[in-house]
Amino acid sequence: MLIDINANTGHWPFRQTSCNSCRQLVARMDESGTDLSVVSNMNGIFYKNTQAANEELNEELKSDRSFNNRLIPFAIINPVYAGWKDDLDTCLNKMGIKGIRLYPLYHDYDLTDPSCVELVRYARDKGLIVALTLRMVDSRSRSWMDITAEWNLRDVIPIMKEVPDARYFILNIAGDIRLSQADTDLMIKSDTLMDTSGRSTSGLGNLISTYGAGKFAFGTHTPILDYLTGLLRIESLSERVADETIKDLLRAGNARRILGI
Amino acid sequence: MNRRKFFRNSAVSAAGMLSAGIPGLTGCLDSAPPAGPFSSSGNIMKEVMKYRKINTHEHVRPDISPGALIEVSDRLGIEKLVISSIVTEYSGKSATPQEFRDCNDLVLKAMKQYPDRFLGQAFLNPVYGKESLEEIKRCMDQGMTGLKVYNQVKINDPLFYPVIEKLIDLKMIILVHAFCGLGMGGHRPKYGNTEPNTSIPEDFAGVAKRYPEGMFQYAHLHGGGDWEYTCRILQDYPNVYADLSGSNNEADAVDFAVRYLGEDRLFFGTDGSHFQGVGTILSSRLSDAQKEKIFFCNYNDVLKRSGNHVN
Repeated sequence: MLIDINANTGHWPFRQTSCNSCRQLVARMDESGTDLSVVSNMNGIFYKNTQAANEELNEELKSDRSFNNRLIPFAIINPVYAGWKDDLDTCLNKMGIKGIRLYPLYHDYDLTDPSCVELVRYARDKGLIVALTLRMVDSRSRSWMDITAEWNLRDVIPIMKEVPDARYFILNIAGDIRLSQADTDLMIKSDTLMDTSGRSTSGLGNLISTYGAGKFAFGTHTPILDYLTGLLRIESLSERVADETIKDLLRAGNARRILGI
Repeated sequence: MNRRKFFRNSAVSAAGMLSAGIPGLTGCLDSAPPAGPFSSSGNIMKEVMKYRKINTHEHVRPDISPGALIEVSDRLGIEKLVISSIVTEYSGKSATPQEFRDCNDLVLKAMKQYPDRFLGQAFLNPVYGKESLEEIKRCMDQGMTGLKVYNQVKINDPLFYPVIEKLIDLKMIILVHAFCGLGMGGHRPKYGNTEPNTSIPEDFAGVAKRYPEGMFQYAHLHGGGDWEYTCRILQDYPNVYADLSGSNNEADAVDFAVRYLGEDRLFFGTDGSHFQGVGTILSSRLSDAQKEKIFFCNYNDVLKRSGNHVN
């Protein structure tokens, strides 16, 4: 079984991408053997009112009943925008989300802004996963209208210190992944999954040695990154580094546990 | 590939859960989703291994053992690696003749250590014209098969002309470090290029026009630069090839490159990003035959011109 914890639909405004809809995503999943994908609508990165993007995704999911058994929706929530708590309740109670995605760099707030801390605590209390994406695109090839900043792994630590008992996805791990020993220990103790789409997970064997096999899961970052590199990082691991039991955790086992499915 | 024959392995475990629906989600499933080719027990690796591969852009350094390169290459079914050693802007060196000779000695040593795996490329700095031509002779006499140049001098600078003419005589390709950041072409100069002497697509166009019989390899098409812009500029210069190495494995880049450059002008490469190098080609919408060309045949055709091809 294979679960992708980092898929997106919607439009990336600076470059034409394929695989933008639920239908296209499911077709791609079928080709590559992905059974389930965690998905959100990246239009919400650019809408001021992110709830419109969550509603778009929900409408699309309702358009074909088979989508509901292949795609696990996450909502994009902006905690400094009006009505976010109502939005989150709606997404949870009427749209069946399993988590939320936050984009502080795009929505222009600090990860430890009191409203963000409140949101993460609220998500924790509701049993939702909080997904943080270190970057959407490589800033070297960004559009002149796109943001310039990217996160390193250490940049997500402050919110994990504020709310250590929330569950986290850390996605598209690029850039510097070095942490202090104290932060490494915090990451190990946390209930966190890091996906394999980002370039800094190429040394996956070493990362497993540091954090444990239970901290990683297959992710694609589709449609921004190619669909298979994240899987290749898992499947090409030597038997010495990861046997089939560990690979099964990376393919789906860890994702199933944290998603509760 | 016949996808149907793969639609079996993971269906059992997936169907067991999905037929009952995902807990917490609404909806029902008419039938279990088909299991694709890569879903179980590493079938993606069968797909990886079915293509012969020449990695056309890789480096050896004093701090990386050639054996480590061979180890990861074996895992990905990479048969041959075209290697060079270069003086970068981070080294604090200026690529003097002694420094580029030291780089090439490192490559020659690796070639001797793994003669069946490594194809060497010479590195030089054309600021030192006489010494560069002497170094080409020294390296090619010991079995190197091409040239790699970095950002000491732009490829269309007249300092490069004697070097290019020598490589034309040898029927060998020149791999040129490249970047295409925001503002290329003078449109938005406020962004500029982080490396002022790095060759940009327009520099390749200029030199390709001057030397239509030369062979130039644009390095790491999606190594962080704007690959759409690059392809649009290089479209009309058939003697400029591009390698698909680099860390930024954006979806659709390979298909876009084939659309603009054609399936015969692209090479597989890694430049240290081994998984991205293989994954991005594997993920493309190209046919098996097109992938074979990019993974192996296109570069082997280039090697054939100098009699250095792989059988």
